[in-house]
Amino acid sequence: MPSVNSSKPVITGYGCVTPLGVDVESTWTRIIEGRTARSPISAIEVQGCRVTEGAQAILPEIPSLSKKQLSRLSRSSRLALPAVEGALQMAGLLDSRGTSIYPRIEMSISTTACGMEMGEQFLNSIWQGHGQGQTAKVAHYQAQQQVSEIHRHFRFHGPAMIVANACAGGGNAIGHAADLIRADMADIVLAGGYDALCELVYAGFDSLQTLAPDACRPFDRGRRGLMLGEGAAFMVLESEAHAQKRGATIHARVAGYGQTTDTFHLTQPSQDGKPLEKAMRQALQEASLSPSDIGYVNAHGTGTPFNDGAEAKAFANVFEGHSTRLSSTKSAIGHTLGAAGAIEALICIKALQTGILPPQINLQDPEPLVSEALVKMNERADLNAAMSVNLGFGGSNAALLLTQP
Amino acid sequence: MRIGILSCGAVTPGGIGVESLDSPWPQKLVESGSRNHSYNASLVDQSLPEITRWGKEPRLRRASPIAYYMTEAASQALSAVPDIDLSRTGVIASFFLGCLVYSVRFYKQMTTEGRRFASPILFPETVFNSPVSHLVSTLGTSGPVYSQVGDKSCWANSLRTAECWMRRGNVDNVLLIGAEEFDPYQLDAFHSAGWMRGKGLVPGEGAGAILLTSKPSDQSVILAGLSDGYCYSSKSEALTAGVECLTAHPRKSKVMPTATGWVQQIESKVVGDRMLSGISHPFYEASTASAVWDTIKAARLINQGLTQDLIVPYWGLSQQFGAARLTAPSFTS
Repeated sequence: MPSVNSSKPVITGYGCVTPLGVDVESTWTRIIEGRTARSPISAIEVQGCRVTEGAQAILPEIPSLSKKQLSRLSRSSRLALPAVEGALQMAGLLDSRGTSIYPRIEMSISTTACGMEMGEQFLNSIWQGHGQGQTAKVAHYQAQQQVSEIHRHFRFHGPAMIVANACAGGGNAIGHAADLIRADMADIVLAGGYDALCELVYAGFDSLQTLAPDACRPFDRGRRGLMLGEGAAFMVLESEAHAQKRGATIHARVAGYGQTTDTFHLTQPSQDGKPLEKAMRQALQEASLSPSDIGYVNAHGTGTPFNDGAEAKAFANVFEGHSTRLSSTKSAIGHTLGAAGAIEALICIKALQTGILPPQINLQDPEPLVSEALVKMNERADLNAAMSVNLGFGGSNAALLLTQP
Repeated sequence: MRIGILSCGAVTPGGIGVESLDSPWPQKLVESGSRNHSYNASLVDQSLPEITRWGKEPRLRRASPIAYYMTEAASQALSAVPDIDLSRTGVIASFFLGCLVYSVRFYKQMTTEGRRFASPILFPETVFNSPVSHLVSTLGTSGPVYSQVGDKSCWANSLRTAECWMRRGNVDNVLLIGAEEFDPYQLDAFHSAGWMRGKGLVPGEGAGAILLTSKPSDQSVILAGLSDGYCYSSKSEALTAGVECLTAHPRKSKVMPTATGWVQQIESKVVGDRMLSGISHPFYEASTASAVWDTIKAARLINQGLTQDLIVPYWGLSQQFGAARLTAPSFTS
């Protein structure tokens, strides 16, 4: 018999850094105002690319680190550390010195590019004939180094699952954290994702001609591509018993998680949306909820023809005949890759808490299959449950179902 | 929950199949990408028919060498148990460096030829998740799929993920793969990290696969324990992490020698007289692939009756340590 904890894992803290803001509140305020972070990219070299705009974050200050210490961090860590701090702080897990009250906390993290600019600097240094001193930062490229930096900064250790399921990874990381708790393998898990803009990935998406030359328009028939972004989001998941024992405030629950792999094509989802639909139905089944219970879905909605077409079909198949609302916040924040699933789950939590729905901005000619479901400005709803959906290269699909506490 | 090993597969510099773990492995002097250094490396013979045959698969035609290695190793493990339900079989791939060859090639192309001339065919193949996507598509499993990254100890966390899936009842079997591919710039990186100093190590490449089951037979070697997440950021912390990692397992269990490079000193201090005698240290380091090979070697030692209870440490060279404890099917203690 499977060993299962039947209670739904709870969320006791969350934090983020996005191109719309250096924390949750500033990000959320700008999302519901209908703003977009699209601007010319200056953090990395994009000269020669077809598209040179995207969603770039302002790196938050980290007062506890010296300039020298900051210079050693990858851009990914500069995004991740403040997001982790926000999550741990809200969960009441930091002491007066800003360090963890627990010596061991398990982590479940997503990234696609790790600290890629360190790898790029390494190769450039070699090609320019620089010595070993210039190349020593190469170790900071790897994902486990960002984990180490989080460990060192907040003074805790523990197992770290780093999932690299491309753009679905953020959803997988949170879903896996919930799985660990449900399997009675952990009481508390810090879960989330991060990714920073880097040349290789930006030029990669540009080479695929998937970057929108103008505004990113998810679920619009005139959509022309995605807006690449960067960011980080983390949340603290706990078993209900653990959270109650320490008197933590419960902000939401992870009620269900589904994940499937679409083998149709390396970079395109199956156009019938069936594999994604299966992931969404898995999440509903685990939560013992029906489609009519879901008030809002935060879509992957990259703004590419193939993704949004498949996703619209999956949404229509699952939610047809129900009043479920739909939007993609990537037109505001950008596609933050390994962080996307975590940021978008956090947006679902804010929607649950406030009853305000994130609007679908940049919409001119809505995709007919979902046109009635797309969220307009200033919409409100009495939400009990919200779903966050993500797809990734390689066919990874993830669906997270979040509910009220 | 009782978790056992159903079958294994391997692609190594010594050849194809788990028997290649016993054969002598070639080493050759390789010039680093910068041409500033030359070091020995132990590499897979990519012309072997067991590897080239995967080039006929549409999804693998343009894939990186790592995808070929892991598909072949996984295929061996799956073909040994043809009756398993592939819809109840999850897949977890573990990587240290992932699709290194294509990543370097793509970045070099975009920096030398211009960003607009970067290859749209190459870019998707640089993604960590691509090789396992090809593998799943080619071999036909339909359970959950994760790509996990980290240093060698990432393998211990992959075993933990497999246990989690089985406990949740999502799957009956999990196919775990560790795979790495070699690129000459790796020698520059290892040199910069100081890993090639002194006794050094020999970078290797290849793949290993293990099929775990939640319904082990009375012949299955058992995954009896797991320790994971013992982190360090200095050599002194590494010693403490190593001690704590092994303390999680019974004191009387023997430990297989698996350390390479600078970690050998740590291993020697931590393990002491618990080291299994008669087994030599590996000379090569292929990170997550090495972790799987070490696990397979330990399972084979148990199957051969040389020991009934063995700890396999996964000494990560950059961040943390983990370890698995394997026991004979009938072992009780």
